[in-house]
Amino acid sequence: MSNDLNQPVEIKHIAHQEGPKRHLITFVISILFTAFAFAAVVFAGQSPFVAPFIVVLALVQVLFQLYIWMHMDQKGHELPAIGIYFGFLIAFLAVVTFVYWLGGY
Amino acid sequence: MKSEMAILPPNPEKATLEGKNKVLGFWLFLGGEMVLFGSLFATFIALRHGTAGGPKAQELFSLPMVALATFILLTSSLTSVLAILGMHRQNVGVLRGWLWITVLLGVAFLGLEVYEFTEYVNEGHTISSSAFGSAFYTLVGFHGGHVLAGVTWITLLIAQSYKKGLTVITAPKFYLASLYWHFVDLVWVFIFTVVYLIGKVGT
Repeated sequence: MSNDLNQPVEIKHIAHQEGPKRHLITFVISILFTAFAFAAVVFAGQSPFVAPFIVVLALVQVLFQLYIWMHMDQKGHELPAIGIYFGFLIAFLAVVTFVYWLGGY
Repeated sequence: MKSEMAILPPNPEKATLEGKNKVLGFWLFLGGEMVLFGSLFATFIALRHGTAGGPKAQELFSLPMVALATFILLTSSLTSVLAILGMHRQNVGVLRGWLWITVLLGVAFLGLEVYEFTEYVNEGHTISSSAFGSAFYTLVGFHGGHVLAGVTWITLLIAQSYKKGLTVITAPKFYLASLYWHFVDLVWVFIFTVVYLIGKVGT
């Protein structure tokens, strides 16, 4: 093997680009949102606003997953965004069709 | 032996055209997965009250167990992103370590799910007991199948990493496995919200 494989490499210039900090913050926010959702069901389960509230929390959590943990915030993710949002649109239409148009069970 | 520190470009998963194509193709696959789970969610939401005299969601579900499963899967999503950070630092040891933890958490989640399903079957809630049962096990079971696939995939990648190390060829594989794992966690966020929490509310 060539020598340069074993040379210590100058990687500081890339090491500072991304740190674990924002991922840890995202994790804490996700845990908090999850805790809010569970708490809302446990303490205010009778309220008609609970279901929409926890669905909104889930949507925000999913955006965190996509943009922070799956790196969609980085450039060059236009086509992935189209794929995901189009998939989401079809999924949404399926829910609306089954539940409101076909009337559910 | 491969050196723990290799010389790689800053984003080794996208350093080659093949790597770039894999990442793009995988995102489109995830878009298709979204449609798959969307139709399963639609089916579940439409059929969730059809219990045919069997146990209702409200009586079945235990929130502490769901909370524990959610915590395990959320943590594993964090550990898989930390693995990718290790990869970007070109440290295969860190990458492998976090992937091992991700696999262990995934196995713990699966164990919890098997225990949960066994409990439900004992209470008379099976895949053929009612429309609710069929929709529930298809949706949650499909997600569990994805967790199992992810655990198997990442385990094989870890095994391969001991032999091949971190190169521009192997880097896209780790990156895709991590994307897949985040997606599985993303689906679980909707499952615990729509199936378990709204099921517990009973609306």
